[in-house]
Amino acid sequence: MDQNHMKKQINSARNSLFQQGYLDEQFIQLEDLQDDANPNFVEEIVTLFYSDSTRLIRNIETALDNYPLDFCKLDDYMHQFKGSSSSIGAKKVKDECSQFQECCKARNTEGCIGIFRQVKHEHATLKRKLETYFQVSPSNSLENRHTLQRNTQLCAAD
Amino acid sequence: MTVEEIRGVVAGNNEINRFPIGMRVLAVDDDPTCLKLLDGLLRKCQYQVTTTNQAITALKMLKENRNRFDLVISDVYMPDMDGFKLLELVGLEMDLPVIMLSGNSDPKLVMKGITHGACDYLVKPVRLEELRNIWQHVIRRKVESKPQSKSNNNHEKSNQGNEGGDQNVKLNRKRKDEDEDVEENGHESDDDPSSQKKPRVVWSIDLHRKFVAAVNQLGDEKAVPRRILDLMNVDGLTRENVASHLQKYRLYIKRISHQANMVAAFGGSKDASSYMRMSPLEGLGDFRILSSSGRLSNAAYAPSGILGRLNSATGVTLHSLMAPPLVQPNHTQNKLQPVNHQNMNLFQEIPSSFDQCSNKPNTQLTDFSSIEESRIFTGNKLVDFNSIDESRMFTGSNPLMDPSVGLGSKSLKLSSTGSESFNLLSSSSNFLDQNGNQPPNFSSNQLPVGGNYGYSATVKGGICSNITTTDTIPLEAHGGGLVDEIVQNVNNQSLSNQKNGQYSKQDYSQYSQNAFSTLASLALASGGGGGLSGPLSHGGLNGGTSALFKTEMPSLEMKMRSSEDGLVVNNGYGSLDGLMTGMMKREQEARMIVDGEFGYDSYAFGPCA
Repeated sequence: MDQNHMKKQINSARNSLFQQGYLDEQFIQLEDLQDDANPNFVEEIVTLFYSDSTRLIRNIETALDNYPLDFCKLDDYMHQFKGSSSSIGAKKVKDECSQFQECCKARNTEGCIGIFRQVKHEHATLKRKLETYFQVSPSNSLENRHTLQRNTQLCAAD
Repeated sequence: MTVEEIRGVVAGNNEINRFPIGMRVLAVDDDPTCLKLLDGLLRKCQYQVTTTNQAITALKMLKENRNRFDLVISDVYMPDMDGFKLLELVGLEMDLPVIMLSGNSDPKLVMKGITHGACDYLVKPVRLEELRNIWQHVIRRKVESKPQSKSNNNHEKSNQGNEGGDQNVKLNRKRKDEDEDVEENGHESDDDPSSQKKPRVVWSIDLHRKFVAAVNQLGDEKAVPRRILDLMNVDGLTRENVASHLQKYRLYIKRISHQANMVAAFGGSKDASSYMRMSPLEGLGDFRILSSSGRLSNAAYAPSGILGRLNSATGVTLHSLMAPPLVQPNHTQNKLQPVNHQNMNLFQEIPSSFDQCSNKPNTQLTDFSSIEESRIFTGNKLVDFNSIDESRMFTGSNPLMDPSVGLGSKSLKLSSTGSESFNLLSSSSNFLDQNGNQPPNFSSNQLPVGGNYGYSATVKGGICSNITTTDTIPLEAHGGGLVDEIVQNVNNQSLSNQKNGQYSKQDYSQYSQNAFSTLASLALASGGGGGLSGPLSHGGLNGGTSALFKTEMPSLEMKMRSSEDGLVVNNGYGSLDGLMTGMMKREQEARMIVDGEFGYDSYAFGPCA
């Protein structure tokens, strides 16, 4: 029962991430890649994303401090950032990145600065949510999955 | 070659029967997140994955052992090296299929990838389904190169003891080509023992000319490989070589006619022009050439190298197709054999169309298409072509095309469309002759983009001549030797370019009057490494322009073939710049119109205008 309950919690946490638009189907692809050979694939790749994106964010911040803004460089940075965000399915982050790139194209300084704040915000929010999610969801090892399945059946039988 | 053989070849020792399982992929991406994702996805497909986040490291690995990998996937945007550059180097030097990966789905970039020779372009985030099918690119290459390389391999082996130049590839090469030949030969020889892919037979212009002559002589029905081989009387050429060449030639002819029809039907779509305006190529020598050609065509379209590249085969073809309108209808110079009479008309028309082109970008294309391509090929008009108002055609051409530079530097490399395209040209003529039909029967439904066919189209006299005549390219110059030189240059260029990604520009200027034919040859020659091995005999241009084209085509085709998988034939648009560009552009346009199959569809051919 407990496991079932926990499982439900995990599921609802996960579902809300999708429903609220924080994640998209790309994240499901990540989950599909997780198997016995790669039991922690999702968590690993998300961690990798966050460590790498921190560097990118710093670069962008530095670039945003230099006036006049070098829109080409900013666009390049954002392109990279967007690429990795989309790779893990970080939907909201990716959307903000696109907006940022639009501002770059329009050479809109104020817009860039404003949008970037949003980018960072979404980036941080998602990080928090994913951390929570990973904490509650067990590693998807075969053993755990079997346990979950058994528990589900048991619960169902109840 | 049976599937099992291919699999065995491709998959290496352990996975012979399980291909695509175990296919060895090299993934390159500077972004660690993406790289990890790619790694995971590829492993899920059960490929054998090697990853690196540095393009330089990837190149090193590939250079160390070409046979270590079957396929390369590379990001476009990388800090240490431009993805396109890597693509070129890998595709050309190592002849491995390369797939581009980018977060940017801009069609211009996709086009660029194609022109640079990518066999596919994926947009991030990459999905598993997309990766499941990438093995097809490996097989495709193997299949394409196998038969030829096999024969070529045998041939080469038998020629080990012969003098350096005495290989079918090097047949009839003039001295200028010798260097190239040696290089090419060496290149091939190097590949031979170690690589699974056997070097292909390079159909030099001379060789192709002989081939076409033989085919013409025999007539369509009797033109069987064995007889053609006998007639050609070329050392080291095998029946298999001829057979596959013949097949391509026939396909090309068909495609050309179809295309011609299509182009006619299309009529002045503006799309081509817009396509032509696609982003210019960067940094590729040959691209510049292409751009130049763009100039020829009045730069209606952006002289992007892409066009050039793509068009190498197709562009050229189309271009040539387009050219006809310009030709003055009554201006036939029937230098070529009578049979080419029809072709000549085509040429004649070309000039006129060009003129028109300059004024109305798209209209000409349409007209052109209706022109009998065969005529273009005939090349008789080449001379006439020269009389075309080239300047008009080329005005506004690509800044890349520097007239002053043109002469010496323009590389003739036309695109590696390869001999095939060339073949088509010649074959088209023949084709036409036999059928007695001129007109848009070329109907090759598709100008093979990667294929050689495309190339041939352009080469076909009309276009070539147009291009050559452009102001930018001083046609002056050498007399008969021009073609040869050009061809050589082209070939050389192709080779060297392939390696360096740059095509030196051959002396466009060489193109003088006869340049037309030369151009054709060049176009063919530029096909890329070893495309046109022999310089088109300039002298023969007038009379034998078509022949030249023919020869060139094969080489171009060869090149194109290699690029079929998406590798753009950088080869050698170089010298032919204007010519090729124009040709290619037209071709592309035509292609685009006609044949959606070509990867270059997006190329907008800008009409001369």
